[in-house]
Formats: sequence, C-alpha cells, structure tokens
Amino acid sequence: MIMERRQALLLPVSPWFIALSLVVSLLLSMLMGLAQALWLPDVLAVCIFFWGIHQPRRVGMLIAFIFGLWIDVQQSSLMGQHALSYVVLNYFAFSMHRRLLWFPVKEQMIQILPFFVLSEALGFIIRLSTGDDFPGWSLLLSPFMQTLLWPVANFILLAPQRRAHDPDANRPI
Amino acid sequence: MAPASFDRSPPPFFRVGFAPLTKLIFFSALSLLLMFGDKQLQFTKPIRASLSTLILPVQWLVLQPGQVASAIGDYFQNLEQAQKNLQAVQLEALQQSTRSQQVEQLLIENQNLRQLLDLKPTFTTSSQVAEVLFDVTDPYNQRIVIDKGEVKNVALGSPVIDAGGVVGQVTRVYPFTAEVTLLTDRDQSIPVVNSRTGARNITRGDILAGLPLIELKFVPASADVKEGDLLTTSGIDGVYPAGLQVGRISHIERRVDISFARIHATPLAEIKGRHVLVLQPTGSTSAPNGKAP
Repeated sequence: MIMERRQALLLPVSPWFIALSLVVSLLLSMLMGLAQALWLPDVLAVCIFFWGIHQPRRVGMLIAFIFGLWIDVQQSSLMGQHALSYVVLNYFAFSMHRRLLWFPVKEQMIQILPFFVLSEALGFIIRLSTGDDFPGWSLLLSPFMQTLLWPVANFILLAPQRRAHDPDANRPI
Repeated sequence: MAPASFDRSPPPFFRVGFAPLTKLIFFSALSLLLMFGDKQLQFTKPIRASLSTLILPVQWLVLQPGQVASAIGDYFQNLEQAQKNLQAVQLEALQQSTRSQQVEQLLIENQNLRQLLDLKPTFTTSSQVAEVLFDVTDPYNQRIVIDKGEVKNVALGSPVIDAGGVVGQVTRVYPFTAEVTLLTDRDQSIPVVNSRTGARNITRGDILAGLPLIELKFVPASADVKEGDLLTTSGIDGVYPAGLQVGRISHIERRVDISFARIHATPLAEIKGRHVLVLQPTGSTSAPNGKAP
C-alpha cells in the first residue's frame, strides 16, 4: 500500500546544491523585496522549509536563524523578527518531516499552509505589538503564494537528485 | 569516520545533537532578546551596522537588474519626451527666476532688519546631494535608503529635502549608506508653522484611505485652518531649518464629539524622486534620539 505509486529512488543530495539553492533564494527574496508588493511570496522561507522537510539533518534551526538575521538587516525590520519566523518554520518542518512525504504533493500543500500562515502571523503580531503601522491586508496573500510555490520547489530542488544513476561514476575498473 | 572511534562513541547515525525543542526554545529566546534589544535598549546597533556593511556587496548585486532596466528605459526614451521635459524645466526656471532674483535683496534686507532689531542671525546650513538607492522592504515602516553614510559625514537626525520640500529625517546611519524615515511614517514628527496664520503645530505621518499623508496633531476643532494652507518647518526644534515646505492641508474633519479636529496634509516633496539633499541639523547638539522633539 505504501509504495502504490511509482516512486523514483532519489540520488543522495549534494551539500553544495543545498547551499546554492539557499543563496539563490536569498537573492531572489532580496530582489522581490525591492518590488514593494506585500503579496509576493517569501522564496527563502519556502526553501528553508523545503530543506527542513527533506534534509533536516543538514538544514537546521541555526541556518534558519542566520538567514533570518540577514533578511532582518537587509529589510531593516525589527532585528530577530524574520529569524524567529524562520526558526519556527524550520522546527515545524522537522516535527512533520517523517509524515509529510508519504502524501502526494497536493495534500502536502494543504498540510503546510497553516505553518506558512503561522510564521507570517508571528512577524505580523510582533510588529503590531511594538507599535508599527498596519501594512495592509494583501500581506495575508503571501503564505498562500508560498504554498503555491511548493510544487515548483519540489520540481526544481529535487531535480539534481532525480537524474539517472550513472554506473560509471564509482565502478571499479 | 575513523574505525578506531567506532567502539567508543555512538555511531553518527544516533548522534543528532540537541533535541529540536531545546533548539527552538534557545533560538526563540535569542530572537526575542534581539528584538527587545533593538526596540528598547539599542544594543543591536553595532551588530546591525557591521552586518549591513557585510551585506552591502550582495545588496549592490541585487540592485543591478533594476538599475540596468532603468538605464535601458532612459536610453530608449524618445527625443520628443526629452524635449518636452526640457521645455517644462525651462518654463519652471523662468517662472522662478523673478523670485530667485529678489531673494538676494530680501536676504540682505532681512539681515539688516534683524540687526536693527537685535535678533539672532539665521543660519545657513551645509548640504550634500545623495542618491536614493531603494525603498526599505519592511512593509511596516516608510523609509528609503540613500547612498551617503557615516563616511560622507551624514549625521544622525539630519533633515532630508528634495525639490518639493521636506522628505524626512536620517534615522539610521551605516558606514556607507543611511536610512531616511519619510515624513509620512507614523513615528516621524515635524514641528511646523501654518504660513497663513502663523500657528505652530506638530505633524505626524498617517495613512488615510491607503494614501500616505501627514496629520496635524492636537489642533482644536475651532482653530483657524483651511484647506490649501501651506505648512512650513518652524525651525524651533533645532533640527530643521525654518521655512522649508512640508505640506498643504488637504482634508479637514471637524466632529462634535471630539475636541480636536482631524486635519491631514499632503506632502509637497516628490518622495519617489531619484535624488535628495541631506542638510546638516541646525543645532547639532540636540535631538539625541535622531527624532524630532
């Protein structure tokens, strides 16, 4: 029952690819931030959550914290706001990483949406409680956009692991 | 993995470090500490300044696509448009020329009169042009980042203006860049004077129906304020030089149940422009917080 669908066995992940994907999504996040559109998804959050699900040993809360701090300084938001959001996101990723991957992607999306909403709401509550302006309702769209990015992330970030196995790579000659 | 260590310590498969909940609590506490420090105690300033310098090259890289796009846009802007712009600017210069020619004479006259009356002389402030790099991403604040910082002697609390009027005030200074809080931000206050009546007020940024405006605070409902009144800086704060244009009154709402009138003004500065002028604060010793009193 478990292996009812055709599943590809994935190649081992390359740490360099994880690092590259995190850096690229950081740059994308910085670039999209310049557009000043609240509904745009936080690509970095998706990437951190994704690796938290797929490689919880490699991408942990320390990395989430450091990237969050970077975003905090770059956006000049409250120091630690994004750090907390990403750490919480990564914790939830770790707590559900054994269960989530048994589901098809559509059902995964339904399950991860609350966590994106929660991490967005966390920053929102913190900022409003420190006496900042209400930014507008379109902020609420961003977790949904992030959830819609999940299949895309699945496709792109797992692509290197889906390559055909190369028997020549470590065949003793 | 060295085979010698295999029998003495657990194999790496079981070594997972701290429990996730422990890590979550640790990092959450650290974030909360940083937030508290950032908001209340200001001890994160050096961390922020050093990190922002570290980020600067990456920031520059990220800004490139937009700048290249705008450069290409400028290049392909047609001749007609450029000529039209030039004509508009020439017309404006012509209109301003009469007034600007009178300014010299008025200045001398004013100086003489002040001497006669034994008043303090007015200050002339030094200024430097800065380029606006980008709007700060944080949606909860209204700030812009300019390309002059501590290295170019931008002081905390410096007023920033453009061709239209006051843009805001420098609220964070990094080595190579500085952050300017716009006058439409909630936390930004400017002491102004109504140029028609001479009444002094304090403005604060406020968003009215999605539009960033400035609000006049603590004006009695019976006060003499009309739509179209010009607000200029009063200069009594020791930060802004007197006489800079701030805004024009655009909405007045007087209600019976509130003893204050709700008065909004539209800023005169073209806030989304490309260049701004950073002035030295007039009384450099005051305004320790970088905020106008």
